[in-house]
Amino acid sequence: MKTNSNDGDQTRPGGISRREFLIRAGATTALIAGASAAAYKLWQPKHFVPGFGVQTGLQLPSYATAVSKVLPSLAIAHGSDHEKVIRAVIGALGGMGRFIQHGDVVVLKPNVAFDRPPALAATTHPETLAAVAKLVLEAGASKVYVADNPINSPTGCFLKSGLRQVAIDLNLDLMYPEASSFSPLQMDGEILKHWTFFHEPFKKATKVIGVAPCKDHNLCHASMTMKNWYGLLGGRRNQFHQHIHSIVSDFALMMKPTLVVLDGMNVLMKNGPTGGRLSDVKPMGTVVAGTDMVAVDSYGYTHLMERDLDELTYIQKAHDRGLGNKNWKDSLYKEVQA
Amino acid sequence: MPSATPPPKNRRQFVRTKVTLVERVASVVCLVLLAAIGGYVLWKGKHFDPALYSVRTESLQTTTNEVKGEDGTVRGADARPESRVATAPKPEAVVAASAAEAAQTPDASAPAEGSAPSGPPIKGDPLEVNLPGTTPMSDTEFYGPNNLFEKIDGRAPAYLTFNFQQLRCRSFSVTGAAGSYVDVYEYRFDTPINAFGMFAIERDTNGKKIDFAPDGYSGELGYYFRQGVVYVQIIASDQNAKTMALAQALARDRAKNLKADDSGLDGRRQLPSTGLDPATVQFVQENAQGQDFLKNVFQAVYDYKGKKLPFFIMVTKPEDAAAAFKSFQEFCGKFGGTAKSLPDVNGAKIFSAENFGTYKVVFQRNGQIGGVFDADDIDKGRQFVEEYLRGELQ
Repeated sequence: MKTNSNDGDQTRPGGISRREFLIRAGATTALIAGASAAAYKLWQPKHFVPGFGVQTGLQLPSYATAVSKVLPSLAIAHGSDHEKVIRAVIGALGGMGRFIQHGDVVVLKPNVAFDRPPALAATTHPETLAAVAKLVLEAGASKVYVADNPINSPTGCFLKSGLRQVAIDLNLDLMYPEASSFSPLQMDGEILKHWTFFHEPFKKATKVIGVAPCKDHNLCHASMTMKNWYGLLGGRRNQFHQHIHSIVSDFALMMKPTLVVLDGMNVLMKNGPTGGRLSDVKPMGTVVAGTDMVAVDSYGYTHLMERDLDELTYIQKAHDRGLGNKNWKDSLYKEVQA
Repeated sequence: MPSATPPPKNRRQFVRTKVTLVERVASVVCLVLLAAIGGYVLWKGKHFDPALYSVRTESLQTTTNEVKGEDGTVRGADARPESRVATAPKPEAVVAASAAEAAQTPDASAPAEGSAPSGPPIKGDPLEVNLPGTTPMSDTEFYGPNNLFEKIDGRAPAYLTFNFQQLRCRSFSVTGAAGSYVDVYEYRFDTPINAFGMFAIERDTNGKKIDFAPDGYSGELGYYFRQGVVYVQIIASDQNAKTMALAQALARDRAKNLKADDSGLDGRRQLPSTGLDPATVQFVQENAQGQDFLKNVFQAVYDYKGKKLPFFIMVTKPEDAAAAFKSFQEFCGKFGGTAKSLPDVNGAKIFSAENFGTYKVVFQRNGQIGGVFDADDIDKGRQFVEEYLRGELQ
């Protein structure tokens, strides 16, 4: 046996000294501890995809007005002239003065997702937007922004849909999305926790009105007032298609608008959301407006698209989450003929 | 003291403690590699490729391009230019304005927040049309399977189902008709059969047949047809005579310049034309009539002696057709249905079946399987099939 005279460690031939054993054991322990600590540090309890995780971003204020116990929260108007029908439906709600006060800065959010002509009903009809904008201006709004972040080229979409001409004619501020227009928005929704948001138009806004067409949608069955807010988000929105119903219902949480207007004058009944043929469009001569987008969309789906509400999952989800009432007849409503 | 002591009993002998230099080096290399991989994963996680999660800013970048074409579409109105609010440039200075606009608002072509620079653009031949009365409103746009949603959003999955390859599109303004334009969309698929499939799904059943493309029709606002592997949509902005005339001219131009190819459409050719409602011709890629063995099926509705008879046809290998026929007959005899064999006609096996109050008369001959389905009159269905098999239906 070999003796280590310095520390008294003894090593059998072919063996290791106590010191070396302690060093190796210590190194191994340190390595395991380090690996464990690193793993703990890097471990994430849930699958992480940017946008679906936790992050702190800005939160939108509620743009809703006080609930009235006397005036309707939902109105339906029928007729053939866009402006007359819009005036009738807003009149049935108590007039635009109920929602817009003198000096308000108003954001109008049309659906301009595609560079399609108005007749195809894939976008908000220019006459509908014009009628709403006129009422807002008449109510005393100091500034009216028109904003959307289209799927296609923004200028092309606003140009071909005829909405740019409306903005020009009525002296509205048409706001195209630019790189600096977006900020992270905290949503804390069922799926979307945060996402990049077209924030620029909302920096000074005091009121928000959604003006949406009523149309078929290949993935979520229908695009109406709730789905319309999709157009305010940036990023690669096609990811939403995986959880489309949950995400659309998240929009009812994200945005508390002053008013929503559903344009059912001409409804895209099939091949949505783009359409492409006049035969896809059915004249329905109806506009629905209200403060509860779930109720408005419920009416739109059943009475304008003539479909079974039970198949529209995002409405069910929004209703179940207390974000609105799918039973629109339970609300105070008024139906008028223009 | 002896130099070597045998190990005590019941004690495992220590085998080896010496580690060679090679082993030490190898282990160090492994550790370094592991550390490097771990470090890379950590770094990559914190510097993920934003292009995966953010908007492709091509649409923003095309902003200035599109302005070029406003000459032909804007009615001469102007708007107030403001730095943060994008408004209409003066039409007479559109090209200059677009350049100036780009210079003044560099952000317009920069990536949106949280987004990355656009990937390489999808290439293709520009859509050039030399027709009097047209002015291109913008450059040709190209979209592939990975970014088709940027053009048609939620409609994209329907096209991808049919192996969509590329969309080439361009807008043309109508000279002398301010505000009017025609959009040309060319959806390219992998095969003519898939192009036909998508075309058939979106077909307007009230469309009018056109004479310059075999699968095509005109609608109130445009022209729609399949030519080879391309499904073409020509969409007019309005119903003005001038706009519609230009739309037709563009449609004819595209039909003439796109390669004709009907390969794989044998089944469609075997659909008889007598009594056929052309608007009802459909291509079903998978699971026709809920049967997984019925693939690449053509079907249409026929007006036969006052009855509407849906008829289908599938062309495949003879052994596959025979197997499909057998499976179909077996299936029709299940779940309360009845299926019985009928006498052969002109070399074809036939069975008829009743399921849930509707009738089928199905035949198989060589690589052909087809027949009437969902009929409410079995006699008419059988007559139709037998006449077809005898070649009495053209």
